[in-house]
Amino acid sequence: MTWHVAEDELLAYARGELAPPLLWSADTHLAGCARCRAVLAGAWDPGELESAWERLDAELDAPRPGLFERLLVRLGAAEHTARLLAATPVLRRSWLTAVTLLLVMSVLTAHGIHSDRFFLALAPLLPLAGVALSYGPALDPTYEMAVVSPVHGFRLLMIRTVAVLAAALGLSGLATLALPGYGLGALGWLLPALALTATGLALTPRLGPVLAPSVVGGAWVALLLAAHAYQGGAGVLVPFTAAGQAVAAGVAALGAGLLLAVRDRFDQSHRGAV
Amino acid sequence: MTVTVSASGLTLRYGATRALDDVSLRLTPGVTGLLGPNGAGKTTLLRVLATAVPADSGAFTVLGRDPGTARGRQEVRRALGYLPQTPGFHPDFTPFEFVDYVAILKELTDRAGRHREVRRVLAEVGLGEVRGKRIRKLSGGMRQRVALAAALVGDPGFLVLDEPTVGLDPEQRLRFRELIAEAGEGRTVLLSTHQTEDVAMLCHRVLVMADGRIRFDGTPAELAARAAGRVWSSTARDAGAKAGWRTGTGAFRNVGDPPEGADLLEPTLEDGYLLALDDEHAEVTA
Repeated sequence: MTWHVAEDELLAYARGELAPPLLWSADTHLAGCARCRAVLAGAWDPGELESAWERLDAELDAPRPGLFERLLVRLGAAEHTARLLAATPVLRRSWLTAVTLLLVMSVLTAHGIHSDRFFLALAPLLPLAGVALSYGPALDPTYEMAVVSPVHGFRLLMIRTVAVLAAALGLSGLATLALPGYGLGALGWLLPALALTATGLALTPRLGPVLAPSVVGGAWVALLLAAHAYQGGAGVLVPFTAAGQAVAAGVAALGAGLLLAVRDRFDQSHRGAV
Repeated sequence: MTVTVSASGLTLRYGATRALDDVSLRLTPGVTGLLGPNGAGKTTLLRVLATAVPADSGAFTVLGRDPGTARGRQEVRRALGYLPQTPGFHPDFTPFEFVDYVAILKELTDRAGRHREVRRVLAEVGLGEVRGKRIRKLSGGMRQRVALAAALVGDPGFLVLDEPTVGLDPEQRLRFRELIAEAGEGRTVLLSTHQTEDVAMLCHRVLVMADGRIRFDGTPAELAARAAGRVWSSTARDAGAKAGWRTGTGAFRNVGDPPEGADLLEPTLEDGYLLALDDEHAEVTA
């Protein structure tokens, strides 16, 4: 062993006051370090020793938090919130890799055709799809158990939405830096992304978790195709002009308001969801 | 005996289909079986009582709490353990990780206390030794036990189990029945099943459902007794029987209204169940 748990941390551990991530570090270290275990045994009164070893035994059984979960805790998320997020299907490595590849392809396409249009059209759809797939019977295998849990469905939805939005917007933001037309205009996807996500969620209680994002995504594609047909290949498409951005901001605010109004509808399953 | 779950007039439609048709029931501590064919409305009833979907009309209470309001629903959920018909798992999770995840959903946020509870329920269902194995590598029976452990976490007073013995081999089914019997000590368990054997071995009461309605409500002995004098043996299929099948001896066992001078047989739970399904106007006894 090249290091040992500090004595004050061992004392905090003995009192059950050591919090993650220091707790996880101490658990792992104590399992393999006889010296620290001996110090720990000396720091306890004998009456507490047995229950403490039992606690250590339980901790050794406990799931080892993954990189993403540890990062969330270091960023200030509660340990149990980090675990809920780690179970979000679309925050898995496979999904994030797919999104990254898609963004890389769209950036390469932008360089190839000397236009950001494809990227600007695609980027708002990623958080919409990600959020739709993060909560609902389509991709969450534990949806039925989650919906009857005391944690309010809307709270769970919001926890996951914020995490998926942060991941999708973060990746899209990074990709924006590599666009040929990098500048304020290249961020034209951001407000439509928020508008589509909020509207898709707000319509979910009425249309269901599959139809609602499909309708919203379809409307976005139809709008872009119509704008492209009307304006031709030249200039900035209307949704990405200042006026279009203002409309997107308005739709995002309206969608968020509507979502808030229907939040209790997320507390029970959609009728079709079995 | 204390009534722990009470429902009256529960009705739910899916389009033109009445999945639940004016269902009323009262449950007491112990295991109550819910028998019925596919499409009878068993899963819908369980999902309504588990607060997964709201009924169109009617009301119910669980352990004195009314799930009709958001606050009441949350209180019911705190007292609820639910094993759905097809429990889903995150395939890369271990049993410990999965039950831990469900424990967080049940608001057990203190890490040390939650982990103790997870170990307790995994030991209770006999999965202590495989708690660190990936769920995808476990057998069907073990996966069902993981789902039962998740339902038991937090020591709920009302346990809803939707066909937990489907797909299990006879030995696994026997082991699972033992677990359900243990789970039924001191709490109210509603067990949906196709198997009359499950009811015979586990349940102090049985409900029979068909076409969204409760057709029978009583003890297993009372259900079997409904078929007294209505089961007979014959050497050929009896066209007048409501149901008939060839037994291992080669003779036919018939249920329904026996002909004059028929060779009557001792009725079983299965005979009573078949008659309750067939009888449009069966009397609900409780």
